[in-house]
Amino acid sequence: MQQLKASIKAKDYVSAWSRLMALADTVSDYPSLTSLCRLRKKLGDVGQRPGSRRVVRIAVLGGASTELLEDPLRLLIESQGLDVVLQCSEYNTFVQEILDPTSETIAFKPDVALLMVTAANIPRWPKSGDDVNAVNHTVDEVADYWLNLCARLHKQTSCEIILDNFHAMPTRPMGNLAAKTPWESSQFLARVNLRLGEKSPAYVHINDVAQLANQYGVRNWFDPRYWFHAKQPVSFDCLIPYVRNLARMVGALFGCSAKCLVLDLDNTLWGGVVGDDGVEGIRIGEGDAVGEAFKAFQEYVLKLKQRGVMLAVCSKNEEANALAPFQELSDMVLKRDDFVAFVANWEPKPDNIAAIASQLNIGLSVMVFVDDNPAEREHVRQRWPEVRVVELSDDPADYPRILDDAGCFEVMSISAEDQARTQQYQQNAERSQLQESAGDYQDYLKSLDQRAVIRPFEKKHIERITQLINKSNQFNLTTLRLTRSQVEAIMNDDSYVTVYVRLADRFGDNGLISVLIGKHVDEVIEIELWLMSCRVLKRNVEMLLLNHVVDMARSRGAVSLQGMYLPTPKNGLVKNLYPTLGFQDAGDMHDGGKKFGLAIENYDPFSAPIAIVDDY
Amino acid sequence: MNQEAIWEKLTETFREVFDEPDLVVRSETTAKDVLDWDSLTHIQLLVALEQTFEVRFNTGEVAGLADVGAMIELIASKVN
Repeated sequence: MQQLKASIKAKDYVSAWSRLMALADTVSDYPSLTSLCRLRKKLGDVGQRPGSRRVVRIAVLGGASTELLEDPLRLLIESQGLDVVLQCSEYNTFVQEILDPTSETIAFKPDVALLMVTAANIPRWPKSGDDVNAVNHTVDEVADYWLNLCARLHKQTSCEIILDNFHAMPTRPMGNLAAKTPWESSQFLARVNLRLGEKSPAYVHINDVAQLANQYGVRNWFDPRYWFHAKQPVSFDCLIPYVRNLARMVGALFGCSAKCLVLDLDNTLWGGVVGDDGVEGIRIGEGDAVGEAFKAFQEYVLKLKQRGVMLAVCSKNEEANALAPFQELSDMVLKRDDFVAFVANWEPKPDNIAAIASQLNIGLSVMVFVDDNPAEREHVRQRWPEVRVVELSDDPADYPRILDDAGCFEVMSISAEDQARTQQYQQNAERSQLQESAGDYQDYLKSLDQRAVIRPFEKKHIERITQLINKSNQFNLTTLRLTRSQVEAIMNDDSYVTVYVRLADRFGDNGLISVLIGKHVDEVIEIELWLMSCRVLKRNVEMLLLNHVVDMARSRGAVSLQGMYLPTPKNGLVKNLYPTLGFQDAGDMHDGGKKFGLAIENYDPFSAPIAIVDDY
Repeated sequence: MNQEAIWEKLTETFREVFDEPDLVVRSETTAKDVLDWDSLTHIQLLVALEQTFEVRFNTGEVAGLADVGAMIELIASKVN
């Protein structure tokens, strides 16, 4: 904090911003948070903020008082890597704001609306003595009340909506009988929460306040003094977890979540040092408290993998030693095959992490590093500030909770691709081996037996398309981010040309890996968005896609394509894509971007060793 | 904790909350005398004082603390 103040005083805004963002990431007490918010205000909008940042318009709709939440919300969303424009409605006016088409919230056209509500906003409660059917009927009515409000708001603004669910009451007037009584308040709220989760459409995201309040304890979460005094929905002790949780959800909506967990081995995944203690000497598994704690951590990590997080090993070890526990010990929950990359050597860890990132074709900012050794953590932090380094304690029993609290892997949906990701990357590793054995690259591509499905956007792929749009950084010409609703609107708008590509080869399915959106203006198709997953770089997919877009442009009566390249710190890879594909330079744009044009009359289609199929 | 120590910590808390490194408060100081002391910063001030002195103000006290003298008196009664 002192360094931050000094940076501001010295007008060194670049380091002030990076210090502020780092502190915002770790701040844990309310007075420090308010100090950071004040310093944030002092900084105003001056200076260079780290990274390329998207501006997100956020409407806050509060059923309780939200004034003290606004500055923290802005700061913690900014620390996710986004810029924020906030519109906050007056206390408990959310119904009018949503229903009145001339309200400030509707006029604001938010990207995201936060419905910050509490049990005090529940429109109706069951009657004492209601049976379970009557209670469930009320549950439906209450869930529909919220979802109808969300639907109205979404219809008018196409925004994504984050809706708070409801934590249990802090007291138990019915005592233990509550557990058997459907109409009891806490049980009723739990039923409403379940129904909201079941019935929410894709644009409604539930902020799981009920679960958070459970973790912190409802009596810590809710402070009646400040509720009576100022209608504070969350106690000041728990304000940070509440706001940070919201900020992470907003971050996840705009592609700020991590993708890969890089793990050390000795004293991180098992107790002891395998090189010194031998396979039999390390502590993992039942029969030993410390071994059980490490096993529980491996089980947590396995759950992350099952929901689509890629796992990698980065260990200072002889490779044979590092592999031995995976091969020889049945108590190891994690297996060698669970990892997409396995690096065990004596090179500096920052170098190995960079190598893993490049092997997986992902950026450092989507990597999370977990290591029990503080020196290694510091080394990585200094060298790669963008890598998220988790601060472990000295007790393996804490590891699952610490990694959980770090909240790096928040996602708004899980697609089939997520669950198959590890397999896809392993297939990639096999492909690389084939590439080494294949002499000529074109021969190699032919040997892959590639098949592609190229089609306009379809409803069933909207989720994956939105996900790619919001997280692809490298092969991405314009880095235009879109919400699911915006993608859907474009899909249904005839003036747009939309294309997705799915690709399979002899090693398996790569999934949906490329997306293009063009707008038909007069006789030109203006390519507003073109991206591709880096898993399938150099497979000639971009050439195949261009052939296809030219065909579509012709059939619509267009005579040329127009493309642009908008540079970011991450998309240097495609700086020369358009010239390489035969586009002519069409001038510079004001913010460092470049325009390109392609007349399609004499376009000579590229030959790409990929068969186009209806399905595979 | 003696009065002097309470004054010192309280002044420090005021300076941090209102972001005025040279702020001086007296017994008779009220919200009118300090720039930015409004109903919102009042809550932030109380939360900061609760944390600084490891005390807890009850509901009536939260609403009733009009001047610094009353705060000092209340804090002294709770910490001692």
